[in-house]
Amino acid sequence: MINILDDYALVSPLRYRNNWLKIAIVMFGILVGVSSQSFIPPFAIALCMSFATVHFGKTSFKFYLKILSAPAVFVLLSVVIIAFFFGSGTELFGFDIFSYHLGVNTGGLEMALLVFSRTLSGMSCLFFLALTTPMVELFSVLKATKLPDSFIEISMMMYRYIFVFLEVAWGIKYAQTVRLGYKDWRTSLNSLAMLSTTLFIRSWEQGEKIFISMSARCYDGKLIFFEEKRPIRANELVLTCTYFAAVLALWYLTRIHSIF
Amino acid sequence: MILETKGLKYSYHDGTQALKGIDVKIEKGKKIAFVGKNGSGKSTLFMLLNGTLKPKEGTVYFHGKPMEYDSKSLREIRKSVGIVFQNSDDQIFAPTVYQDVGFGPTNLGHSKEEVEKLVEKTLEYIGITEFRNKPPHHLSGGQKKRVAIAGVCSMEPDVMILDEPLANLDPVGADEILDLLNELNQNNTTMIISTHDVELAYSWADYVYFMNEGNIIGEGAPEDVFKDMELLKKSNLRQPRTLEIYNELERRNLATRNRFPTSVPELVHSLKPPELMWIEVSPDVKEGDVVNLGILHGEYAINSPYEAVNAKVLHIHPEGHAIAEMTRHGIKSGGIFIYDMDKYDAGPFKRILAEEDIDSIGAMGKKSKSLAEKHLLDLQITSGVIDKSILMALCGKRSMILTSGGMIEHAVKRIDEYAENSGIAIQLSLVNSEREELGI
Repeated sequence: MINILDDYALVSPLRYRNNWLKIAIVMFGILVGVSSQSFIPPFAIALCMSFATVHFGKTSFKFYLKILSAPAVFVLLSVVIIAFFFGSGTELFGFDIFSYHLGVNTGGLEMALLVFSRTLSGMSCLFFLALTTPMVELFSVLKATKLPDSFIEISMMMYRYIFVFLEVAWGIKYAQTVRLGYKDWRTSLNSLAMLSTTLFIRSWEQGEKIFISMSARCYDGKLIFFEEKRPIRANELVLTCTYFAAVLALWYLTRIHSIF
Repeated sequence: MILETKGLKYSYHDGTQALKGIDVKIEKGKKIAFVGKNGSGKSTLFMLLNGTLKPKEGTVYFHGKPMEYDSKSLREIRKSVGIVFQNSDDQIFAPTVYQDVGFGPTNLGHSKEEVEKLVEKTLEYIGITEFRNKPPHHLSGGQKKRVAIAGVCSMEPDVMILDEPLANLDPVGADEILDLLNELNQNNTTMIISTHDVELAYSWADYVYFMNEGNIIGEGAPEDVFKDMELLKKSNLRQPRTLEIYNELERRNLATRNRFPTSVPELVHSLKPPELMWIEVSPDVKEGDVVNLGILHGEYAINSPYEAVNAKVLHIHPEGHAIAEMTRHGIKSGGIFIYDMDKYDAGPFKRILAEEDIDSIGAMGKKSKSLAEKHLLDLQITSGVIDKSILMALCGKRSMILTSGGMIEHAVKRIDEYAENSGIAIQLSLVNSEREELGI
């Protein structure tokens, strides 16, 4: 059994809170984070969102660090490059390599920090959404955005059958592995091709079967949506407003300052 | 006659003839089983019965009228004839349980409020309210099967067709689905299933059709068709275990002739009274008298804490040596109590448990089970409740059956039927309902 982010979101207690509020918090976080001139507000946002995900959303801290570490590796690599090759100002330290001078100056460091903090805040905002709001909840949000119904209906069915085919794919992969289907590169390629072919045929057949079973229940182009009334509670509103106010204040205060 | 077919033929595009002239008659309110090996045409027939496929030859009659294949008539038919597919994943397509159960009613043109009410009612009835917000991939096989059944139930069909309803389920999950099917049938839904499980067809159905290679090769009441060894051989099936055991016992003259036990209590009852023994009798005892041999207790009393042993004297030899047939009776009398969970009241309930010295509690129907769970009642029997209660009553134990709605009537009828057929009176009491109210 493999777990995907959606599975964590489905069991999160924050699933049962107002979806629009969560989306507003995430959008706010991303916008402020990106527009900030200093690295302090994005860091604050990242901290708050991570706290909300782990504490209110009951995501295990270890797991949270693990999923955050995947993008973190890329970010750190780019940050190092930015620090060395960008910006101007007083040089903080440097060294010579093959008679070529490499150095980090204040401008570069500041830019690197800013990029790092913005990425981090963006990631933590998106993870907050991904770990607390499962797809089934997002469909009703999509519905409210006036997207065409057929688009949402198709995405609902895609969502449902992703898991069916995932299971089929894992089953086939396992059956191939135990018969040494992945023993070297050549066989792997061959096995993978067979897996994709089978999966394609299976999904085609599945489509036909669903059509039969749907018309057996009088399908005439209407699906119902899962809509649960989830009013925003007073304490949630107060907490969100305080958070917004605090971040905005921080954003305003740090807009012209520089650490150097 | 709710569904009828005459000379039904169907062949697929590749030329395989799936059905070669099928005549079936399905009566309202019955439990019908189609039995046959894989590929014998059961699924094809089912798809013809609700108009998914159109026959190449022959006609399907619905309520006596030939089936039409325009979209309006098809809608009517599909509303009344629901079909549950073998693989739940082929049927459950919506991202949440709630949406899937609401799919049918929405298509029938009910308003949003009506759909909501219907879905809530169905979810509660099937006992899956707790899964309403869950995506189907978080459910087990048995739970998915329940959702699939609920999806059809919410359209309130007259006939429910289930393709291999118990395939790939664990024994307890299968028992629960079977309970559900019986419950639905009690509420006047005609049930049609396909299966290659002979035990299921034999013990569950009122009428059985045997299919082989697109033909009906035999039909009849289960006790008639399952004794036909020739027919079973032709269908690639074997006899049900209970029947097989009974036949062996009968051949050894241990069981009464011409019975068709479908359950363990019935099998037990078909056994001949055992134990002829030699006893010494006083000179004044005549042949045919009953002699009391005393009371056994402790480990000698197999059936209940105390047993009275009586012996009927069959033949007396000179010198007072006699052959007697032993009968043993548990002294503590067993009984079955039926409690209507819709009227559950903790105080009186606990009192009855204590007063009546109840040995075990069983619950029948998903609703009663979840109610019992809610009220923290410890259940000893959760599947095959009626049969097990009868067996316990025969052994001098007292059991309480928790149930509700139409299942009460079902239980009373089953127990009365057993008493009538076996001649053994079982003490049956309805704790908080009246026989008159049930219309029995």
